[in-house]
Amino acid sequence: MSSATAGGIRTQTETRPKKAPCDHSLMPPCQVACPLHMDIREYVDLTAQGRIMEALQVIRDGNPFPSICAHVCTHPCEDACRRGQVDAPIAIRAVKRFAVEFGGDRMIRPEAETSHEQKVAVVGSGPAGLACAYYLRKLGYPVTIFEAHSELGGMLRVGIPQYRLPREVLDTEIHRLTSMGVEIRTNARVVSIDLLLEMGYRAVFLTIGAHQGLKMGIEGEDSPGVIDGATFLREVNLGLKPSLGEKVAVVGGGNVAIDAARTAVRLGVKQVKVLYRRSRAEMPANEEEVSQAEEEGIAMVFLAAPTRVRRRDGHLEVTCIRMELGEPDAGGRRQPVPVPGSEFQERLDALITAIGQAPQAPGSFGVRLGRGSTIQVDPVTMTTNRAGVFAGGDAVTGPATVVEALAAGRRAATRISDYLQHRYPLPEKEALDSLAGDLRPETVEAIRKIGRFEWETAPAEARAQDFAPIDLVYDWQAAISEARRCLRCGMGAEILAQDRCATCLTCLRVCPYHVPQLDQAGSVQIPVDQCQACGVCVVECPARAIVLRKPHDRRHIDRELDHIVQTAVQSNTKPLVIGFCCQYGLFGTGSLAGLWRKAAGGISIVPVLCTARVEADHMLRAFEAGAEGVFIAGCGVQCARENTDFWVQQRIAKVRRTLAQLQLEPERLQFFTTTAGGNGDMGQRLEAFAERIGTLYLASVLIQEVQK
Amino acid sequence: MIVAEQKKLDEILRMVAPYERVLILGCGTCVTVCGAGGEHEVSYLHNALKVAQRKSGNGTHALSEYTLKRQCDPEFLDMLAGRVEDVDAVLSLACGIGVQAVSERFRQLPVLPGVNTSFMGMPKEWGIWDERCAACGDCRLAETGGICPITRCTKGILNGPCAGTKSGKCEASREMDCAWVQIYQRLEGLRQLDSMRRYYPPRNFRVIPRPRRIVAKSTAGGNDGQVAA
Repeated sequence: MSSATAGGIRTQTETRPKKAPCDHSLMPPCQVACPLHMDIREYVDLTAQGRIMEALQVIRDGNPFPSICAHVCTHPCEDACRRGQVDAPIAIRAVKRFAVEFGGDRMIRPEAETSHEQKVAVVGSGPAGLACAYYLRKLGYPVTIFEAHSELGGMLRVGIPQYRLPREVLDTEIHRLTSMGVEIRTNARVVSIDLLLEMGYRAVFLTIGAHQGLKMGIEGEDSPGVIDGATFLREVNLGLKPSLGEKVAVVGGGNVAIDAARTAVRLGVKQVKVLYRRSRAEMPANEEEVSQAEEEGIAMVFLAAPTRVRRRDGHLEVTCIRMELGEPDAGGRRQPVPVPGSEFQERLDALITAIGQAPQAPGSFGVRLGRGSTIQVDPVTMTTNRAGVFAGGDAVTGPATVVEALAAGRRAATRISDYLQHRYPLPEKEALDSLAGDLRPETVEAIRKIGRFEWETAPAEARAQDFAPIDLVYDWQAAISEARRCLRCGMGAEILAQDRCATCLTCLRVCPYHVPQLDQAGSVQIPVDQCQACGVCVVECPARAIVLRKPHDRRHIDRELDHIVQTAVQSNTKPLVIGFCCQYGLFGTGSLAGLWRKAAGGISIVPVLCTARVEADHMLRAFEAGAEGVFIAGCGVQCARENTDFWVQQRIAKVRRTLAQLQLEPERLQFFTTTAGGNGDMGQRLEAFAERIGTLYLASVLIQEVQK
Repeated sequence: MIVAEQKKLDEILRMVAPYERVLILGCGTCVTVCGAGGEHEVSYLHNALKVAQRKSGNGTHALSEYTLKRQCDPEFLDMLAGRVEDVDAVLSLACGIGVQAVSERFRQLPVLPGVNTSFMGMPKEWGIWDERCAACGDCRLAETGGICPITRCTKGILNGPCAGTKSGKCEASREMDCAWVQIYQRLEGLRQLDSMRRYYPPRNFRVIPRPRRIVAKSTAGGNDGQVAA
């Protein structure tokens, strides 16, 4: 800020920057971890305020098919969430699912206009293909999707069981694509890229997935009764009902193995085992899925692998061997080593092998293949060795997650557009620097512990009966309570101008989390990786040198207050009561917001994002604007932050002293908080307050009349 | 550091009453640190005065605000030049030094003190400040274990404790520690109790020549290598 140059002089008007201030916030770990780099912090914060529609808007901006991710995402964001260092990570996927279902995502119909002539063919309709088609269509290209199966969705349809992703969710998303004008060709297996190019397609995106189950390479693997996991899931998902018998074992420790085992249970198999050659800690499958599978009665047999399969009397005689963990390999995973002489026999009706899958690109495509028959591409441009032919998704990476495929599809759309417009493909730029570093133990210590709000899951016995979806969605209050746990990583406070800082150390003394520190040079530093963005130091700084990193947060209350004051002046409300009300938690749910509206008299609400950010100045300005009474309404013991009430009370005490010196009744300024059990009798207290202000106002009017 | 306290609002209101256009002038050093006259307080006072005007119904003052890094240096005051032309008075939230400095620099302008300069001291914790130094000009802290009897003993006696000490507290207030008991304990810890046994003759503070001046620079001599004292 130029006004804060030598001399540190500025006026109030100069503090208002002419142009939009810069966003100094850092990209939080959740966003960094998300392959789509979704603005998770933002939509979680909006959810915490009960602004679900806006949250959904943010979600839609970053994800073409949010409802799919809301069901099946492996949520790398939650693994990166730093709340996990305090108690448990934010249930980001569940919050998103709530936003998607309650925000009315089904109603949203994106529109697209054709602004380019070059046609693009997308081969395969898995998540990567769908995402690519979506974004290409948004960019204005005519897009055709070619799908070998009778229905769209790729692995979303033939790989993921219905209990994890209900088919109507998938259908809704696909319908959205068709309504955008994407041409769909099902039952159309592409055998030649040359043909596509001859048909006039100027670019081709290969996203054929990885559907070919890998072989174990053991004797008897091709016996009847042995089936690979991907094929098994495909058959079930396409409506077939393979008969498995009563005893089934699944070989593998990945998500496909778990999906196959749980699907087998749902087909009525009495006894399902999972054989995995390493131990539970090395299992690549999602932990949550594994424990749910165990609840459904699936037995996990660790450190065991089949070595031979024999078919005898309509059964499978499977010889297995025990393993032990040896030295870690190059990837850091400990390699299983067979224990000699530890063979044991299993008598099974069917054996499902789910030890991995590979893509199966026909040789006629003429694209260069790499390790594990994946298609080789340039990692930046996503181009194959053939001009105009791009590839992405599992076909390139090997089996990966839905969200990674969506990210690949989105990137491919940009790259294909670059190619068609003869633009040099610039590397993707991150708008913000990313936040790194763990929370310090003393910061963790100071953060209020609030456990994760669990959503209801159908009981194991009931859900093992059929393919009905099993995760039930959050209710309104649980979703908001969960979202409030967010630590707002990377959007905390910063000393905007060190030369204005008087190094008074107020921030060090007031911070509830002991974040600000003195460096060796004697300057105060607020480490961005520790700050919880509570705003206490911003308000208390006597030199006004500290601001919040997000421009929106900086003058939020001022803007809202100005707006309320303008409205009140126009409507000539008398007596005017202004309340600064926290928007988080219960207040955001609308249940408390209703109270203010019901209350007698003209109560105007200034929405604030935590009462700790309300300055004594704001309270005075409300009086100055003509308010007869002012109140602050906060979350009290339900606040997700520390010490909020203490600071509000300090400021209220100061303003009350000032009011008293001005012969104004200090009771004109009040503080209301919710109690542990809910909002308590806040409605009544507010009613009484409004009434009292009404009386004071009448009295003052009378006195004025008498004086005249 | 200098510690000050903002004056009561009614006193400030009386002071500014005769002037129409008033500049509220903050100071970015000591009074910022003690929360009496920094940018935050300037803005708060500005708003409080506006509330007062609204209440009295005769809003005649045109208030403006501004905060200097330091009011007690003439170079900083130069930055005020363009801003004080159209004001009738300056309400300075600096310590007494700053008020006088502004007054001296802009001789035609009434400068009103917005704070009471209280003492030299330090914070005990957030929001609490304690006096520590009387600026007596003759520091004896080496003999008193680093505890100043002149500021921290109610009587300011040089040979204590007096008979009014009880259980380590002062007779003037049970809340207050007896400075001389603290001195004794500190010296005991330092194994310097013999300092307690010495007698310090009374000092005549009246003979301190006021106003005091410190001259650090020398009067430069000629070119012959001599420097005058």
